[in-house]
Amino acid sequence: MEIQVAIIILLSTVIIAELAVFLIATIVQLFKINSGLSVVLPLVGQIVAKTSPVNPVLDDINANLVVTRDALENLMLKKGGPDAAGLVESLFPGEGAKFLRRVNRSGKVVNVGTVYTRGVGILASLGRGAPIGAAHAKGAAVRDAQYSTTEVAKVYPAPPDRRNPNLNIPKAPVIGRDPVHSPYEPTLTEGTRLRDAQGRMTGSPPPAPTGKIEVAPPAEPAPAAPTQADPPSSPRRLSAKGTRPWER
Amino acid sequence: MADAALWIMVVVLAVVILVLALLLKRILAAAASIPPKVDAIAGVAAAASRDLDAVAVLLTTQGYIKSIRASVLDYGGSLDVALPDY
Repeated sequence: MEIQVAIIILLSTVIIAELAVFLIATIVQLFKINSGLSVVLPLVGQIVAKTSPVNPVLDDINANLVVTRDALENLMLKKGGPDAAGLVESLFPGEGAKFLRRVNRSGKVVNVGTVYTRGVGILASLGRGAPIGAAHAKGAAVRDAQYSTTEVAKVYPAPPDRRNPNLNIPKAPVIGRDPVHSPYEPTLTEGTRLRDAQGRMTGSPPPAPTGKIEVAPPAEPAPAAPTQADPPSSPRRLSAKGTRPWER
Repeated sequence: MADAALWIMVVVLAVVILVLALLLKRILAAAASIPPKVDAIAGVAAAASRDLDAVAVLLTTQGYIKSIRASVLDYGGSLDVALPDY
């Protein structure tokens, strides 16, 4: 046999051996992959099964939240008018413009929180006769933004447990007992608005309170109360059955 | 002439051995890199499956949201009556 043939046979044997070694090692790795995937796939199935009801639940939650948000926004529009976006902006900075877009309105968003504190704004909108309550609907703010809470703090001091005796803060005002020293001014409109949303006068204001007590005479005598039956002369078991006017 | 052909065949077989070894080594390396990743995925999937056990709490949240919506709407209705319109 020639030397070349022997080398060829040897090289062929090496090739076959090389193929066998590497392919067997690859097969071993594929078996490992197969066993690993057999562990992973049931876990993925669990994940799919556990996440399947999430979408309907989240859709329901989102729908409820959207309905609530729309209701509150409509209420704010109804009660706050053009100040509604400013109220939203004061509570959630950056949301005022989005609020206007959601309700198909346009205009400049004025953060009312920078002008009124929350308590003052609520008092003004309630028409309690506080100084800020005058002309809050139109025009510029009547209070200094920097010291807007000072007057409120005087009217509504801190509760006794938080009160510092060194500051000499007066007690909470007594309303109705001594009107001279009451911090409230008598309102002229009793909560009615004299102007509409565009600032036009809507009607004449009701008469201002005079402070006098007026007693109107009765128009006609009140009807006599129905007479009741006389009490029994001797003690016995009492019963109202049959004694009522509609049972006679 | 026959000797030359045999020597050429020897050279070709030697080159084939080298190329084949290189390719098979790469295939083996790629296959060997997969099982650790599969094991890692199995660990993550098990942890994710455990975390998703809390999804059932969403049903409680759903109930809470419904009751909160009813309360807020009632509150808004009361405010609608209590406060004057703009």
